Amino acid sequence: MTPDPVITHMVAAALAMLLLVGAWQKLRDQVAFRTALEAYDILPASRLSGAFAWLLPAAEVVAGIALVIDSTRALGVVLGAVLLTVVTAAVAVNLLRGRTDLGCGCGGIEDEQSLSWALVARNGVLLALLAVVSIEPVARDLLWLDYLTVAAGACALYGLYAMINQLLANQPRLMRLRSLA
Amino acid sequence: MNEALAVAVVVLWILVIALVVAVFALARQIGVLYERVAPMGALMMDEGPKVGDLAPVFNLTTLAGPRVQVGAPGSHSTLVFFVSPTCPVCKKLLPVLRSSAKVESAWLRVVLASDGDEAKQRAFYEKAELSDFPYVLSAELGMAFKVGKLPFAVLIDEQGRVRAKGLINSREQLESLFTAKDLGVESIQEYLQKA
Repeated sequence: MTPDPVITHMVAAALAMLLLVGAWQKLRDQVAFRTALEAYDILPASRLSGAFAWLLPAAEVVAGIALVIDSTRALGVVLGAVLLTVVTAAVAVNLLRGRTDLGCGCGGIEDEQSLSWALVARNGVLLALLAVVSIEPVARDLLWLDYLTVAAGACALYGLYAMINQLLANQPRLMRLRSLA
Repeated sequence: MNEALAVAVVVLWILVIALVVAVFALARQIGVLYERVAPMGALMMDEGPKVGDLAPVFNLTTLAGPRVQVGAPGSHSTLVFFVSPTCPVCKKLLPVLRSSAKVESAWLRVVLASDGDEAKQRAFYEKAELSDFPYVLSAELGMAFKVGKLPFAVLIDEQGRVRAKGLINSREQLESLFTAKDLGVESIQEYLQKA
């Protein structure tokens, strides 16, 4: 099934927003991101995590920009999928170790989310969206209304993503309140 | 017909975006509410030395080198603040702790405590610029006060008695320890129950 170009553009733009905002937040607060990385306790040396703290957001910027340009979209999809797989694996490894008390260090909203399987599921959905973008859409001329759909749809999708993150961040707090009552 | 559809789509998009923003704002507010409503004052754990008891005395070496005494009677009260390099809330509270330590310096000294891998602790100590504080590594200290969750603080007065303690997640909770000492109550919960 080939999607309409509007769907491809819309999803690609929303994923690009998510990657760029995430990268910006990681670069803005390098110290916080580095400590989050070290807390994951996967990279062997702290020098490596220093380099990774630059490399990861830089790759996010490249993937984000590549996704919105037609000629580089394939590159954006591959790079985005690699990034998502790497970070999701890091989350899963720590969850399997039984550690849920780490901050996620994902960026996205001000509140720090802690690790959970819901986070893995969320990234699974993002990977599925990348798969949608990777399909070559039907060729057709776009009207002004299509551009509106792309722009508004991308904003709405990003808003939904931010909302889901916020609800995921709220969840453990609700649990703590419940356990007190 | 086409024009009517186009208008309808534009209007619907505006409404969808407005609703997404509204729902996000609601979720955010719920998050803030959870945080505010959560434990009132620093939450007390009913373990470890009780408020009013003499604190166990420790003589520990700080990361910077000099030794520091914790729990012994002295000229100042001591706030033992338990942190860890892997705890995000601890990092958030360090600036708060710094400013409180400055404001309360007439009667209070702050000792940071942690345990675990020394190389990681040193990296954290240097990155967070904690050289203003004595920083000790001691698993025994944490065990003596039955520290379960971080960041945890214990306030020990000039006579070496535990005055207040609890899990600290915010400036208000940190200050509630000082208030508890001033008022002579064990915790804010106890104060509220009395009132």
